[in-house]
Amino acid sequence: MALTIKQQLSNPGGILKFLIKYNTIFIFILLVIFSAVISDVFFTSVNLSNLLKQVSGIGIISIGMLIVILTGGIDLSVGSMVALLAVTFAILVNAVVLPIAILLTIIIGFALGSVAGYLVAFQKMAPFIATLALMTVARGLGFIYAKGSPITFKTPGGEFMSNFANNSTIGIPNIAIVFFVIVAIAAVMLRYNVFGRLIIAMGSNEEASRLSGIKVNKYKFLVYAISGSLAAIAAIVVASRTNLGSPNMGMAWELDAIAAVVIGGASLNGGKGSAINTLMGVLILGLIGNILNLLNVPSYPQQVVKGAIIIFAVLLQRFDSK
Amino acid sequence: MKNSESEYRVEMTGISKSFGVVSVLEDVNFKVKHGEIHALLGENGAGKSTLVKILSGVHQKDGGKVLLNGEEISPKNTHDGQVLGISVVYQELSLVNDLSVAENIYLHKLGASKFWMNWKQLTNDAQELINSLGFEIDASAIVRDLSIVQKQVVEIAKALSEDTKVLILDEPTTVFDPTDTQKLFDNLFRLKEKGISIIYISHHLEEIFKIADSITVLRDGVDTGSMAVKDTDTDGVIRLMIGRELKDLYPARDAEIGAEPIFEVKNLTARDNLVHDVSFSVKPGEVLGIAGLGGSGRTETAKLIFGADKKKSGTLILDGKEITTKSPVEAVGHEIGFVSEDRKEEGVFLPLSIRRNISVTSFAPISSKLGFISTDKEYTNVLGLIDKLNIKAPSSEVDVKNLSGGNQQKVALAKWLSIDSKVILIDEPTRGVDVGAKVEIYNLINEVAKKGVGVIVISSDMPEIMGIADRILVMHEGTIYGELPKEKFSEENILRYSIGEPIK
Repeated sequence: MALTIKQQLSNPGGILKFLIKYNTIFIFILLVIFSAVISDVFFTSVNLSNLLKQVSGIGIISIGMLIVILTGGIDLSVGSMVALLAVTFAILVNAVVLPIAILLTIIIGFALGSVAGYLVAFQKMAPFIATLALMTVARGLGFIYAKGSPITFKTPGGEFMSNFANNSTIGIPNIAIVFFVIVAIAAVMLRYNVFGRLIIAMGSNEEASRLSGIKVNKYKFLVYAISGSLAAIAAIVVASRTNLGSPNMGMAWELDAIAAVVIGGASLNGGKGSAINTLMGVLILGLIGNILNLLNVPSYPQQVVKGAIIIFAVLLQRFDSK
Repeated sequence: MKNSESEYRVEMTGISKSFGVVSVLEDVNFKVKHGEIHALLGENGAGKSTLVKILSGVHQKDGGKVLLNGEEISPKNTHDGQVLGISVVYQELSLVNDLSVAENIYLHKLGASKFWMNWKQLTNDAQELINSLGFEIDASAIVRDLSIVQKQVVEIAKALSEDTKVLILDEPTTVFDPTDTQKLFDNLFRLKEKGISIIYISHHLEEIFKIADSITVLRDGVDTGSMAVKDTDTDGVIRLMIGRELKDLYPARDAEIGAEPIFEVKNLTARDNLVHDVSFSVKPGEVLGIAGLGGSGRTETAKLIFGADKKKSGTLILDGKEITTKSPVEAVGHEIGFVSEDRKEEGVFLPLSIRRNISVTSFAPISSKLGFISTDKEYTNVLGLIDKLNIKAPSSEVDVKNLSGGNQQKVALAKWLSIDSKVILIDEPTRGVDVGAKVEIYNLINEVAKKGVGVIVISSDMPEIMGIADRILVMHEGTIYGELPKEKFSEENILRYSIGEPIK
């Protein structure tokens, strides 16, 4: 068995192997070049900043999805949470001062995530089921609180958020900066912090983790709570962009987030995945949509292409693990 | 059953095989007669598994010739191998957990020819097969619910469900206790009588000398010799395996044993009563052995102490103070360590690097209050342990799944050695580990004890437990049946206590 190591080190695999190993970044670069060639509009600052604004919301929940998937779980509730929390934020922004509205929204996100975390970690419910149930509950609550229609920001606080979300700093959209900061924090936590180490260990072998004296339940609980908090931040970002909170927001975002994480090379069995690669996954998904829009491809064929790209990316990774 | 055309059932000559640029087998010759038990020996990584996998069709040879009954064969896959009558019982169990025993045994036949299966017939056939082996397993039981021992039996039954001519067993007895092992041996002798050729891979030399007719030893992909068992002895074989004389398999115990116990267990009882009224104590520097048959409650006792299973009652006293261990987290907090018998499922993180495996128990000394890990401190700790335990790997970043069994076991131990412990429970310290690594692990246990740790070692390997323990407790039906001081150590005494008999 020790031979495989020597094999890996001595095998002159060359460029192909390198490409397969870093396939996410490779696909991303390929897509950028492709887009630049076929469309004049692609490399304009308007288009690029639009692209970044579009992906930031899904990007933020994708990071939450990543840390849940690293433990071997899944969080289907994030899309609906974005809707419920966007409505919550719109109500709060019209009722209390802005910092408190932001803080409360994130706390409520944490609390909602904690419900999933409690069910999974302490009631041993399957993550798929627990979060599927929460997904329905959150979407329903969103409609109830919004009374079926969007809630518009009416206060100076809301106006401030709307300005923030639609402006840029040194050419980068503010909400994209929020997204990148979250990616950076996640990357550092996963790589250099005990928290990241432990959730990766749990995802690769839960029983061995338990028998190593790791507080498995605590960390399982925490990842869902963090995913909920990130859904709150995503909700604030998307609500601010459109100046309103609507219960129709975040439709099927959980699926895009899962796709981004998987394109980023994470394993749904847990234990494998990185924040930077998830960022790549998010950008790849966003790019595909962007190019197809620029090419005036209607939305149904777009879905077909998206699906095909996901299959292609995952097949490439298979190749890598062989 | 005798085939007069050729003297050998299997003749592998000049076999070579390499993976990538690394050669695993070089010009290996291996010949097995009709109706003999032929032991294939060698340290982990010597090429035993690769050789039998070429025979069974899992791997294809790069060079050389394989003859079966004098005719050249080259099986392209395991199905080809099965058709030729070559069956393998793998070390890693290859059963489908969600299917029944009978379905597993006849898995290769399911869907092969008929549209409708006669399930009753299938289950009856399977039951007959298992009964004929002398084991008690319900053929309609789901494999998931079986013990690891029963699974191994099913695996063997599966191999025999075919018209087998060559049966290959890769470490079949690692999970067996002496009675089960004896049953297996009786079966092997019967199969041998029927003319079946058996290739037997094992690290247990005592076993080999009990059952094998001939021996072939591999070292680093080269066969260092074949001989009849009667022409050699343990030392001779070990010399061939490791290429040097092995003076002492079991290092001399030189730890000073303290006067007062460091750890006491009183009337420990499991919630499911599989373990009841277990009481014992261990002194600092002492290596306490726990022996017993499979299912006697040894592993369960260790898991109860460690908080991995639920207790009903009982008291634990550490350093004179009563403690509770409701979970492994609490046990680790009290500086109690536990090395599981099931290395792959419960011991190591196979997809993670050696560094990440070792650090998992020891973040406190290498990280800041906010949990940020100091890379320097981590590498110092990890590289120190890799060096100390002689873990053979090109770097600390190699995934543990790429290591040999012996090195994986060392990683599992390293996890607990990197932190201070008062008590360490080690369940089957050398299961599936080659001789060289065994000695290193024994030395390590010795060294840990020397630091004043109370070491509790559970083992089914009787020479091993007698070689390393200062005192042996023998479990029988969920409780401690007897205690053997060093001067009373003998296989017979352990076995007598194991089956609930007084010693003479």
